[in-house]
Amino acid sequence: MRYCSLVVLALVLLACIHCTPEYIPGNLLDGLGRSVTMDTVPQRIVSLAPSNTEILFALGLGDQVVGVTEYCNYPEAAKAKPKVGGFSTVDIEKVVSLKPDLVLATQIHAKKVIPALENLGITVVALNPKTLNGVLKSITLVGQITGRSEPASELVGQLGSRIDEITKETQKMSLADRPRIFYVTWHDPLMTAGTGTLANDVINLAGGQNIASDVTGDKSIDLETVIDRNPEVIIVSVGMGTGEDSPWQYIKSEPRLENISALLHSRVYKIDGDLIHRPGPRIVDALEKMAEFIHPQLFGQDRPGK
Amino acid sequence: MALESLRNHTVKKITTGYPAQWRIRIFAIVSMVVILAIIIVITLGIGSTHISFDTILQVLFAKLSFSHIQPAWSINTEIIIFDIRLPRLLLAGLVGAALAVAGATYQGLFRNPLADPYLIGVAQGAALGAVIGFMLPVSWQLGSIPLLAFIGAVSAAVMVYSIARVGKTLPMTTLILAGVAIGAFLAAITSYLMIASGDRLQGIISWLLGSFSLTSWWQVAIVTPYIVIGTLVIWLYARPLNVMQLDEEQAQQLGINVERVKLILLGAATLITGAAVCFCGIIGFVGIIIPHAMRLVWGPDHRLLLPLAAFAGAIFLILADTAARTILAPTEVPVGIITAFLGAPFFLYLLRQKKKVIF
Repeated sequence: MRYCSLVVLALVLLACIHCTPEYIPGNLLDGLGRSVTMDTVPQRIVSLAPSNTEILFALGLGDQVVGVTEYCNYPEAAKAKPKVGGFSTVDIEKVVSLKPDLVLATQIHAKKVIPALENLGITVVALNPKTLNGVLKSITLVGQITGRSEPASELVGQLGSRIDEITKETQKMSLADRPRIFYVTWHDPLMTAGTGTLANDVINLAGGQNIASDVTGDKSIDLETVIDRNPEVIIVSVGMGTGEDSPWQYIKSEPRLENISALLHSRVYKIDGDLIHRPGPRIVDALEKMAEFIHPQLFGQDRPGK
Repeated sequence: MALESLRNHTVKKITTGYPAQWRIRIFAIVSMVVILAIIIVITLGIGSTHISFDTILQVLFAKLSFSHIQPAWSINTEIIIFDIRLPRLLLAGLVGAALAVAGATYQGLFRNPLADPYLIGVAQGAALGAVIGFMLPVSWQLGSIPLLAFIGAVSAAVMVYSIARVGKTLPMTTLILAGVAIGAFLAAITSYLMIASGDRLQGIISWLLGSFSLTSWWQVAIVTPYIVIGTLVIWLYARPLNVMQLDEEQAQQLGINVERVKLILLGAATLITGAAVCFCGIIGFVGIIIPHAMRLVWGPDHRLLLPLAAFAGAIFLILADTAARTILAPTEVPVGIITAFLGAPFFLYLLRQKKKVIF
């Protein structure tokens, strides 16, 4: 009987060693190139971006997330978490009151929010991926700092092979095989995503060429340029947070666009803005959708063998 | 008889030192019209897409003569020239003219060189209306933003007017002060709504900075009657405005119904400003510098000043918008940034050249 309780104690101790990994993250470089030191595995995490929230939940860290933004609507469980403000407007007091031991931020918090939080002694790690590869690296990084390296590498492996499924077809395509894509994020003013954006990377990997590759970042583009470059496929991001598809309505009803290839051949598609603008795991869903729109004969419903 | 001589005296006083001969004045107006026409044709050939000047002239000729030339250009080239660039140019011209005329009118009425079309709350009212439009469900936005902007502009001016009115008279100082106060109040609401607007902020900011992107013919068609009729009404009152600019009491003695003229001029100037801003947003500087520039060169006689300001405003805003759509092509710069950037130094240059008293 005495031994029995000792065995139980030993078992409990063993289990504890397993459930609290002794792994300590230590020094690391975050997505903004900042050097961050972490002494413990974080147990209370505040996410300052919907994409960060999605990564945390995908790694099974939902319970450790104690604060999210108003825009964090995925997965469903994220909606129930306490809100710490909008995307760029962070309520610092609210963040502090949640006593986080890790805040996951992004590039847009670099100037104000991150210094403010650091002054208050809160550990901040920023993620800033601009490519699909970068998203995979972010996931690995989050895995490292939260002691979830294994699920992270598993997830990265899955996502990577889904990306490969598409790029093995598209990477050998010459420019002539790549349809001209006009990607629309807003209609008034007409906005698109140029070089250096996640959407641009998705377009390239999906086997298209972005007609706005000569601009950098999210910019307005004038109507005559769009007409002159005569896109073969138009992809409109809709429902940015609000579930609205007015940019799509605009593209379909603008009489001056009637004679460009995409409208003549009815190749105007909607894509969920939450998929393509968030550098989280669902970006691969966006890539698959995009590939289907751009090369339906290769990736669509009517492809051979499906 | 005494009245007649006093009137002549007043007019002489205004025009001293500036070309008063009608031959020179007509020449000035005609040359502005010619310059405007040339500018329109030239800027029609400038854009982010390269289209040869030859093609531009051919398309224009084919369209204007209604002849059925077998087109040597694609339908999209024709759309770019005729449905994108031309309406945009014309709207920029109309808006420039309206803002310059309204600015000249306000400056004359208020006898204040700092007066601009937005002095009595029109811009803040329009901005609030537009921002409310942006907050609506998106499917309602397309037509409602300009409509709400126009309603906002006009109701702000009416509010300021009724607050500033004392009995049957309208003291101009009270009007300016009421305009500033109401403007600040409306701007506060607008700023709050902008902060609450979340992801619609991009559209709102672009509207507030002013832009002619996506202009099409229907907008030109809606705005034209307001601006043309409003400008003509103001021009008809150029003579009373000349006298009132010097002294309201004297104008009253000369038999001018000062309060009525004020109301008509304020009403017309507010209407054309509202029509000008409702589609393209708040474009600054045109309404203040163009009238001054014309006054510096041609003198303060409103009979000449108003038409010249209209043409100069049109030319200036067409050029500014051409810069806005080309310097970072294919991206666009808000035209309000260009007007301030080009307008302010040019105005300072004129000021140094002339060094005359503006008023």
